[in-house]
Amino acid sequence: MAIHEQLKKIILDTLPGVECVIGWGPGQDALHGSPVFMRKPEDVDSFMDTPLGAFGAVNNLALFLPELSGKKVGVVVKGCDSRSIVQLVAEKLIKREEVVIIGFPCEGAADLTKIEKALPEGREAGEVTGAAIVGETLKLSLGSEEISLGLADIKADKCTRCKTPGAVISDAFAGIAGKAPEVRDEYADLAALEAMSLDERFKFWEREMSRCIRCYACRNACPLCVCRDHCVAGSRSPHWITQTDSTRDKLMFQIIHATHLAGRCTGCGECQRACPAGIPVLLLKRTFNRGVAEIFGYDAGMDTEATPPLLTFQVEEAHIKEREWQ
Amino acid sequence: MKIGVFICHCGSNIAATVDVLKVVESAKSMPEVVYAVNSMYTCSEPGQQAIEEAIKERGLTGVVVASCTPRMHEPTFRRTVERAGLNRYMFEMANIREHVSWVGKDKAANTAKAVDLVRMAVEKLRLDKVLIPKFIPATRKVLVIGGGVAGIQAALDCAEGGMDVVMVESEPSIGGKMSKLDKTFPTVDCSSCVLGPRMVDVAQNERIELHAYSEIASISGYVGNFDVTIRKKATYVDWDKCTGCGLCTEKCPSKKSYDRFNEGMGETTAINIPFPQAIPKKATITAASCRLLSGGKCGVCAKICTSQAVDYTQKDREITVKVGAVVAATGYDLMDWTVYGEYGAGRYPDVITSLQYERLLSASGPTGGHIRRPSDGREPKEVVFIQCVGSRDPSVGRPYCSGFCCMYTAKQAILTKDHIPDSRSYVFYMDIRSPGKGYDEFTRRAQEEYKAQYIRGRVSTVYPKGDKLVVKGVDTLVGEQVELEADLVVLAVGGEASQNAPKLAEKLRISYDGYGFFMEGHPKLKPVETNTAGVYLAGSCQGLKDIPSSVAQGSAAAAKVLGLLSKDKLESDPQTAGVDVKRCVGCRKCINVCPFGAIREVDMRGQIKAEVIEAVCQGCGLCTATCPQGAVQLSHFTDNQVLAEVEALCQS
Amino acid sequence: MPELTENTKELRIVGFLCNWCSYGGADTAGVGRFIQPTDLRIIRLPCSGRVNPLFIIKALMSGADGVLVSGCHPRDCHYAEGNFYARRRLEVFKHLLPVLGIDRRRFEYTWVSASEGPRWQKVVTDFTAQIHALGPAKFFADAPELDFLKAGEGVMQP
Repeated sequence: MAIHEQLKKIILDTLPGVECVIGWGPGQDALHGSPVFMRKPEDVDSFMDTPLGAFGAVNNLALFLPELSGKKVGVVVKGCDSRSIVQLVAEKLIKREEVVIIGFPCEGAADLTKIEKALPEGREAGEVTGAAIVGETLKLSLGSEEISLGLADIKADKCTRCKTPGAVISDAFAGIAGKAPEVRDEYADLAALEAMSLDERFKFWEREMSRCIRCYACRNACPLCVCRDHCVAGSRSPHWITQTDSTRDKLMFQIIHATHLAGRCTGCGECQRACPAGIPVLLLKRTFNRGVAEIFGYDAGMDTEATPPLLTFQVEEAHIKEREWQ
Repeated sequence: MKIGVFICHCGSNIAATVDVLKVVESAKSMPEVVYAVNSMYTCSEPGQQAIEEAIKERGLTGVVVASCTPRMHEPTFRRTVERAGLNRYMFEMANIREHVSWVGKDKAANTAKAVDLVRMAVEKLRLDKVLIPKFIPATRKVLVIGGGVAGIQAALDCAEGGMDVVMVESEPSIGGKMSKLDKTFPTVDCSSCVLGPRMVDVAQNERIELHAYSEIASISGYVGNFDVTIRKKATYVDWDKCTGCGLCTEKCPSKKSYDRFNEGMGETTAINIPFPQAIPKKATITAASCRLLSGGKCGVCAKICTSQAVDYTQKDREITVKVGAVVAATGYDLMDWTVYGEYGAGRYPDVITSLQYERLLSASGPTGGHIRRPSDGREPKEVVFIQCVGSRDPSVGRPYCSGFCCMYTAKQAILTKDHIPDSRSYVFYMDIRSPGKGYDEFTRRAQEEYKAQYIRGRVSTVYPKGDKLVVKGVDTLVGEQVELEADLVVLAVGGEASQNAPKLAEKLRISYDGYGFFMEGHPKLKPVETNTAGVYLAGSCQGLKDIPSSVAQGSAAAAKVLGLLSKDKLESDPQTAGVDVKRCVGCRKCINVCPFGAIREVDMRGQIKAEVIEAVCQGCGLCTATCPQGAVQLSHFTDNQVLAEVEALCQS
Repeated sequence: MPELTENTKELRIVGFLCNWCSYGGADTAGVGRFIQPTDLRIIRLPCSGRVNPLFIIKALMSGADGVLVSGCHPRDCHYAEGNFYARRRLEVFKHLLPVLGIDRRRFEYTWVSASEGPRWQKVVTDFTAQIHALGPAKFFADAPELDFLKAGEGVMQP
């Protein structure tokens, strides 16, 4: 039985005990999918009923869990999504027993930006009339035109450094979890930025952030952003950022978001995926992720029992040499 | 807001290197400032009066004083504005003396800096809110942890002042280190004659509830309202029945138990009363040495006891008490002298510690007050004292001076001569530290009257030769190697913080230094307070000290407790954190990090919210820096206030 | 100890100091008349644990050329644990600055006790010299002059 069918069976078995099961369903066009909240058996029909199937399961559905806390829900997760759940449980933002986690062996998810870029000059995602995955390629039809794209070329960057293709924790699992690959995150994206001079980096952010339209899609897509309606971006007390359309304030918000996620971010990349202006906002979070890994050997979302490193301390810190200055 | 700014000349302290009038002029154009003036000495009576008059005449609603450090006069000026009818928190200071005029030579640069600091204070003041202290009820009872001389003094003084006292002592008897001493310097008084009656007073005082052989399991709550759980360790003897007759200790067949009270200078029975003057005078069984409790057959003590007090089934039990204040008087331990391998410490029986020597000198000690070598029981004739063993020695992590060793070594040299008139004492020392009333005279007497030979220098090695010990050292005054043959070597071992001090500090939520000594509130002005309201310190737990200082601190701590609990209700500092419940999302991060347990989780119509317990909050602001959405704000140091200060500095 | 010439133009340095140790140490330096460069202005906070790392970037983005945080030495915190949290947060935060294009030497944190007047003098002098060596910081322009069409690789939504 295909993974997709196995998942459907698990969801059907799960439904009676839960408020709903969150999964992926069809979206606005052949390429895009969207979350579906399955409450009745007939809702399950639409699950992964998309041309891209599991490859198109891009959304991190853990996003919805804190809002649903107090109710028992099921959720289908990629490995990276499960890390968000682990982190939410570790921080007691959701209760483990309120979530039925359904995993499957993820082989990577699409980066729609990459697909759109690969389309012929002037063509848009909405013009794609048909799509199908054949072996290791994605075949797209745009009217009469047919194009093939290698899956490896249109996979999300995060998939290339994924070390959790199966769920970190799960209650049910479709298929057999493969062995976790020996992947080391080399932070190639950060290295590329750091190849620039300080001045160039400064200009890079000025340029990138000037495109920000302050829509906060990045924040709204972040499964670990807990403040929700009480974000400091919109408050006067405290008044961290003004409402002016300045690059400084836009960047300040990104720094605030990254700082709030320091030691918590699992690198799911939903912030960057959600950005309509294509600003690489994940970079700032990954800066902290790398720092936290270096200093504390900590990787968020791997252990429900771990305390995020910035919410605890050691009297003697093995990897902080603060006395080297002075 | 109508802000008045007062710029102090502080005589010439500020005016010499800051153009005060220029600062006044600049202040006049700052937002909401309606009045700015210079003042010769703002803290003087006319200076304070000028502030009061300006508040009344000009209707000021906030005041900035630019003068010295707020650590000095913030309380003074808060009272000033309060006298004129303002809330005392509608006041800010700019430190233009310690941070400007005294540290910079360039008058123009200093003046510009002073203007910035005043602007910063004005911007902060503009966001200050009226804060009103709350009153919380208090339990008029004090917990004294530790029954040494400092704790005894604190307990008796508190009881004398009408306060109920709960005393907790970890050993089976109170008395502490002092009860082990033979005599005390510089009067050569009998230690137990001085201390004994005070111990009896503790036992007899109706206001004092004593829990010996007990420890603090946990403490929660806050000033005026601490909840203490005391763990009473199993003694296997029902102390309500035990009469302290000592029959059991005579009949106990297990006679090889380590004698804690005698510092291992003798052996004792498995069931024992530590010393004749013990308070409470009750028997305790050391389970590890007891034949029956370690699995064998015996039961002699239970059979012999006329009051059926022995109970082999006894378990540790816990009791809880409510107190309003705590005095920590947990004393010190001797440092582990066996790290000094070169002195044969711990290897040669005739190399002993000064405290072991006290037990040999004591008439109630294992040798009945006759000095006998541990190895062969012979009376020593040549006694070498080595000072600074574990003091002033960074190589063993003890760079500090223990403070009392010079004096007790002089005393022990004197007593040696008293006990054995034909003996000779040698003292290797680094410096003689004897700053106290009659102290230096005492060390002179040891040398001049009692002919103790003082050798300024360190000992390099001690090794056995026949039945003697060869002590090799240097006399730095003569510049020669010294080699002595000794019958007994006494190491003046320095003190260190009690082993369990850090653990207790965590329970009490007080700070301790790198050595484990508890931190006083201020090195000069708050010597017995801690930074946790309602917790006080007495004796060596705060830093090593001799008996008179420990007693003085015990009384000082008692005075603080009596002062604190003289009222039924306590005023709490309103500069605490507060939660904006509308903004709180109940993520609990503030609860996790609060060092004082001052934030609790409350259920508000089904939603989790954080709530600050104002009386517990110490105002550190860690929660404010932790809360991602800024829902927890520390009064008087809100995010907006700090941001306003940053803006005032950066935009200028 | 590096000396600054008297005519060097002042730069803007913001200090966040805990009230109990470092602010007291700065006072002690004052009482001892330990002369220091005048660039630094001190914001008094109860504890280094009160320092939200975002204060630092806020200052740097608002025009500060350097930021110094100083608290009680580890184990000596007036509030027992505040500086332990601060140490972790500030250490992690350091990583962000170079990625933003800000020299990481523009921010340092250290520990100075209330009795360490001479040490405070050295900290201020050395840090001021460090900032002067870096020179004035760049300011994030409010409305950068950019060719919008060339901006980034990203996709502009209609």
